[in-house]
Parts: sequence; structure tokens; C-alpha cells
Amino acid sequence: MRELIDLIYFLFPLFIATTVPLSIVALGGLFSERSGVVNIALEGIMIMGGFIGIIAMRALIENTELNLQIIAFIGLFTGATFGMLYALAHAFASITMKSNQIISATALNMFAPAMSVFIARTFWNTSNLNLMGNYTISKVPILGDIPIVGQLFFTNAYLSTYIGIIIFIVATAVLYKTRLGLRIRSCGENPHAADSLGVNIYRVRYIGVLISGALAGMGGVIFVLSFATRFSGSVAGFGFLALAVLIFGQWHPKKIIFAALFFATMRVIADTYSVIPGLNMIVMPREIYRMLPYIATLVVLSFASKRSRAPRAVGEPYDPSKR
Amino acid sequence: MKKLFVLFVAMFIVLTLAACGGSEVETYEIAMITDAGDIDDESFNQGTWEGIVAYAEENNISHRYYRPAAVSDADYIATIDLAVSAGAKVVVTPGFLFEVAIYQAQQDHPDVMFILIDGVPHAGDWDGNIGDNTVSILFAEHESGFLAGYAAVHDGYTELGYMGGMAVPAVVRFGVGFVAGALYAANEAGVAISFPNDRYTYLGDFDAKDSHKNEALAWFSLGTEIIFAAAGGAGSSVMSAAEDSGNKMIGVDVDQSSISPTVVTSAMKGLGAAVQQVLAQFYADNFPGGELLIKNASEDGVALPMDTSRFATFSQAQYDSIHGRIASGAVSVPENYTELIAFLNAIGQTTAIVEGTIHP
Repeated sequence: MRELIDLIYFLFPLFIATTVPLSIVALGGLFSERSGVVNIALEGIMIMGGFIGIIAMRALIENTELNLQIIAFIGLFTGATFGMLYALAHAFASITMKSNQIISATALNMFAPAMSVFIARTFWNTSNLNLMGNYTISKVPILGDIPIVGQLFFTNAYLSTYIGIIIFIVATAVLYKTRLGLRIRSCGENPHAADSLGVNIYRVRYIGVLISGALAGMGGVIFVLSFATRFSGSVAGFGFLALAVLIFGQWHPKKIIFAALFFATMRVIADTYSVIPGLNMIVMPREIYRMLPYIATLVVLSFASKRSRAPRAVGEPYDPSKR
Repeated sequence: MKKLFVLFVAMFIVLTLAACGGSEVETYEIAMITDAGDIDDESFNQGTWEGIVAYAEENNISHRYYRPAAVSDADYIATIDLAVSAGAKVVVTPGFLFEVAIYQAQQDHPDVMFILIDGVPHAGDWDGNIGDNTVSILFAEHESGFLAGYAAVHDGYTELGYMGGMAVPAVVRFGVGFVAGALYAANEAGVAISFPNDRYTYLGDFDAKDSHKNEALAWFSLGTEIIFAAAGGAGSSVMSAAEDSGNKMIGVDVDQSSISPTVVTSAMKGLGAAVQQVLAQFYADNFPGGELLIKNASEDGVALPMDTSRFATFSQAQYDSIHGRIASGAVSVPENYTELIAFLNAIGQTTAIVEGTIHP
């Protein structure tokens, strides 16, 4: 029993660490797609946001004596800001210029790693930007002393976890409880009807894409803070995984959280099977373990996709004269 | 009309850029072709490039690196041709992936000298054939790994782990040497160390990501005290895991102690020095064409950065002693599984690591 509890205490933070960036970026994708713009540029935006966020943090670490958590906080928001700016390119191309949304997003995905390597190499002579410091919060005062819950949520945690929870609550509230949320949803379902009621489709879609840029940019910083000690021009496909989470979560915030948790759990178990009783007894090549999350995803998706409901107008540039 | 305008603008931009690039025809005497990695991979590409830059700037020789479009023999050969047509007199290629390409290139360009690091040219049949205009430089990574494992055990670590990037020859040698060094030190110090079969693995890639961090965290939670990560960028994830869980790791190729306080030491190889040495020979008209140079401990090809290492008890004297024994040949470090078993039998140690783990 004691061992089981220890195992849970060990695995739980790992589930959370993977769930948070996945779900934040997927929530970003949600805003874009619910407003009617497909955003497969999440990966590129994550890289760009992560890149600028890490640069900002490096500058702060070198030049100031700020607390590491404050630096992380500033880094997250710098990443979000630049993610938003970067997503503006996608918004301009796909909304104002009515280009194919897949193509403009692909361009962003290809541009981001190349640009980050180019800039980093120009200024620092390396594309690997090392980041000093340990950004885990060993124990949150007071809250960390609560039995069980304190241990699970408030020790060895990342700042991003709490920001992620706030983002989830705010995102759900915005989407379902505000006028803006209603407009975003209507633009993704039936933009002509929304237009006839005086909603500015272009503006709402711009807002949707910019929110997705901010969240994906922040997700990029979280990725680097959570899984590495440096930025090296890649987020290991998390942007695309987040897209899968978005679809698996059926474009719905609550389901997205569960989808992200599912993905994260499978992913973590595949890498930590050696500590999990039962799994570590089976002698299998590690590649088989590595396949498990994707096999599970395929199976689950093939059942879930029956009930899939994408926003009806997603992917179509708005053209008032059609119809 | 609008389309025509856009077309004009696009052509204008392209032509301006082309004009900028082609305003003067430059030649580059020393050329380096990168392999799958990039010149700042904190591994052999970077080490090689830094050696070239140091030598070229000191002697005021033009130099440049080229990145092949893809990892394939055809792309490598095309890039080498490009470098030669841009005036390269000596072409440096790091990585065993170039073996076949250099075999072809050394025949195509008999007047150009080739320096192949970590490999021996062959026609695809693994039958080595070093042309008169080619030098192969191999590093004794197993000796470097041996030093790291030896130092770690003498420093008091008893639970060790090895994470390689992919099972390419250099990474395998690092791993075998590490196991041998650890068990050799255990025998000397009379301690029992644990190096089970599931603490030796190849991650499958060289990228920093959550999977590698989580796997390292799992190992640490099972009692592993120190992980030797010969895995390029993936080492960064192991480092992150060590930081989060309060454990240690060992870096690879270059001194990584400045990146994280968890880096106890780094198993280095002297890429830059070796390249500079051969370049100097080339410019002194003394190019050792056709030779296979093996840079090992006796030639200062491998080392631990003792000045920046964070050892508790392992001393410079101990380091000098083991380094001397390897250099003199008193200790012959194994570089594959068969040799490892023979080596361990000779010192009365055994390992639970099976052949399939080391040579998948």
C-alpha cells in the first residue's frame, strides 16, 4: 500500500507536467478553430514563443536578481505576447487575405525553427540556448502542508500548473459565459448568420487566432521549462499532439482537459514503465512500450471520431457573397 | 494587374537577394560538411568546427561549413562537390555517416584532401579503404566512457545508469567503456555496484523531450544516483530530470559543467585538437594521407575536465593514475560486448547486461 502511494506521488506530477502544456496549447487551438480558422501552426507558434520567452528569461537571469518564479512568470508572458504577434501572420493571411489556412499555417511551422536557429546563431553563436536554474516549486507555503492534496498539487510543482488551471477556468468562462464567446462560437458555426446580426466576423476571427497564438506561445515556454534545460529549436511535436488533443477533446474545454490527461498518462507510462508494478515484469523491447500511447490513441480515436463534431465553418475563409 | 505587380515584387526581392549573395565569388580553402547534427550540437560537429575555426583564424585561412540538404550519401557527395567547386583544398567531415560518401569523393577529387572523423571510408561493404588523400580519425570513446565510469564509482556512486542517443558506433563505445570503468573501479575499491540490464539503454534519438526526462526520472526514483547521458540534446532532458529529483549526471563530448550544477563531470574527446593537428600537418605539406589515426588516452584524445568536475573524493592523483594506466596500455579498455565480458572475467567481475542491450 505504501509503495502504491509512493508510486502515485511519483507519477502524478509527471502526468500534470505533460498535461499542462498539451491542454494549454489545445485550448489555444480551440479558440482559433471555434472562431472558424484552422490553426495547425500551433507547433511553430510554440517554438517562436518558447524561443523569445527563453531569451527574455536568460536576459533577466543575467541582469537581475529576481526570484526564479518571477522570471518564469515574465518568460511565460513574453512567450505569450510573441506567440500572439507570430499568430498575427496566420490571421492576416487566412482571414484578411483569405488564403488557404493549411498552407499559411504550414509556412509558419517551417519558418519558426529556421528563424529561431538563425537568430540564435547570429547573436549567440549557437542554436542551443541554455537556461540556468531549477524552476520547480519545491513546496507552496501553507497549501503544501495539506495532507495528500498538498503532496499531490503543491509540492514539486511548476508555476505553469497553476497558470494552466486559471487559463482553463477563464477560457471556459469566456467561451460559454460571455458575449465574445458566443460570437466566437457563432463565427465557427455559421458566420453568415452572425454577420447578418451585425457581428464583425473578421474581428472575431482575429481575436480567436490571437488567443490561440498567446496560449501556444506560452505553451512553448512551458515545454522548455518542464522538460529541458535549454531551447534548441524544437518542441518535440507537442503542437501537433495538442491538435490531436483538440480533436480528441471534440472542441470542448472540459473534454480537452480529459483528452490531454489521457495522452499525458499514456505518454508518461510508456516512459516510466520500469517503476510500474506489472508493466516492469513483462519483458518487452522498449520500442513496444513507446508505441503504446499511439496505439491507445488510434483505438480511442477510432471510436470517438464517430461522434466528432468540428465547428461547421472551420477552415473556410469568410466570404459574405457566398451562400 | 495586381498579380503582375506581385510577381514583379517577388522577382525584385529574389534578384536583390541573389545579387547580394553573388556580388563576389569567394573561395573557401577549408570546408566542413555537417552530418545529421548542426555545428552547434555541443558534440562532434561543434567540436570539429571549433577546431577548424581556431586553426583557420590563427593562420588566416578562409573556411566555411556546408549543410547537406538531407542525410544521404547522394546529398553528402553533392555537398562535397559543391565545397570543392568553391575552392576547398581540404574537406573535413565529422561522423561515420560520411564513410560511403568519402569513399566516392576521395576518388572523384584526387587533388583534394579529406579528413574523416569517427569513420573509415568504404564502398558500402564495411571494407575500409582509406585513399592517399584521406585521413581517418577515430576516437577512443570507450576510454573516455571508462574514465567517467571509473571516476563516478571511486567518487562513491554505486547505482549507475547509461543513456545513449542511438546505437551508433561512438555511442556504443561510450557505453561499453562506462560499464567497464565502473566495474573496474568497483573491483579496485572493493565495493559492490549495481548496473542492471535495465539501466543501460539507447533513447532512440538525440532530442530534448518529455519522454527522456520522464524515463530518467523513473530511473532516479528507482535508486539510480547518476546517469551518463551520451545523447546530444537529449542530455538536456536528463539534466532537467537530475535537477528536479536532486540527482546527478555525466555529460559527454564537451565540458558541460557550466550548464547545470548536476553535471558531475563530462566524458570528453579532443575533437578540436585532433582536427587542428591534421590541418597543421596539411599546411606543412606533411598530410598523413592514407592513415588511420586513433586518438586515445595516450594521445590526449580523451579526457575528463578535472578542473570543472564536481567530485567529492575522486582526486587529480587518482585521475592521473588511471589515465596513465590506459595510456600506457596497462589497462586495455573494451569497446564491444565480447571484449567487455573478457575484460570483466579477467578482473573477476560480472555484469547483468546482455549483448542485445548493448548491440541492439
